[in-house]
Amino acid sequence: MELVRVSRDVWGQEVLEGVSWDLLPVAFGIGAVVIVGHAIWRLVRRRARS
Amino acid sequence: MAVEAHVTERSAESAARIQRHAGIDRLFHWVTAVAVLALLATGLLPVVGVEFSWVTIHWMTGLVLTLLVLFHLVRSLFWQRPKCMLIRPRDVSEALQAARAKPGEPVRLPGKYTLAQKLMHLALGLAVVVAVVTGVIMLAKIDTPFWKRDPYLLAAGTWGVVYLLHGLAALATLTLVMIHIYFGLLPEKRVYLRAMTRGWVTREELGAYHDLERWPGRRAGRS
Repeated sequence: MELVRVSRDVWGQEVLEGVSWDLLPVAFGIGAVVIVGHAIWRLVRRRARS
Repeated sequence: MAVEAHVTERSAESAARIQRHAGIDRLFHWVTAVAVLALLATGLLPVVGVEFSWVTIHWMTGLVLTLLVLFHLVRSLFWQRPKCMLIRPRDVSEALQAARAKPGEPVRLPGKYTLAQKLMHLALGLAVVVAVVTGVIMLAKIDTPFWKRDPYLLAAGTWGVVYLLHGLAALATLTLVMIHIYFGLLPEKRVYLRAMTRGWVTREELGAYHDLERWPGRRAGRS
């Protein structure tokens, strides 16, 4: 998985193009993990209290 | 008699209500929310293969978001109490203490905002400011009715850094917006959602999560 997008200019040098869009599912995944993790923790805590 | 009782009940109810967010701040929040969602959709949907003419909607909405951020900066600095949003070491220690406390054990409640709310504001604020600043620079690369494009404004490598920061800010915003919406919809957090739609919380609701005495702007008439 790439972290950045690069291209080559007319002289063959690497030029930074921006963030790699491979990171889009990672960003979505981090959000999903936090949400699911918190939902599980909330359920466990509620059961422990009742 | 019944009307009198109803009026008394209504006035007692409104006396128990505390304004958490003024109308102008609620309007700011929801317009910003629409702008951010529109920017995420127009910026990221083409990445996953949803092709449409997104550039015009994106830069126009970006300009709206820029104006909203400027409005929020001015309003929070001159009409509100920005200190309410500062994260202090005692916020962290009190939040940790509250998390470790056994049921019924007294804990120090936060003022207007909890540590989690302050952290979300800081993270989302940073991501949006980075996206706005880099987005404004990127406007130099497109033709609009107001200006002609100048792609040579910056060196190629510098443009790369601007695009990198803009992309990172967009990805961070996506994650944070997902988390923000989730917490806003939780039943135990609905009080905050109502405060952001109708403006008020009851004294009882406030007492469960916040300490009115530590909400200094309230007594001074500033939110």
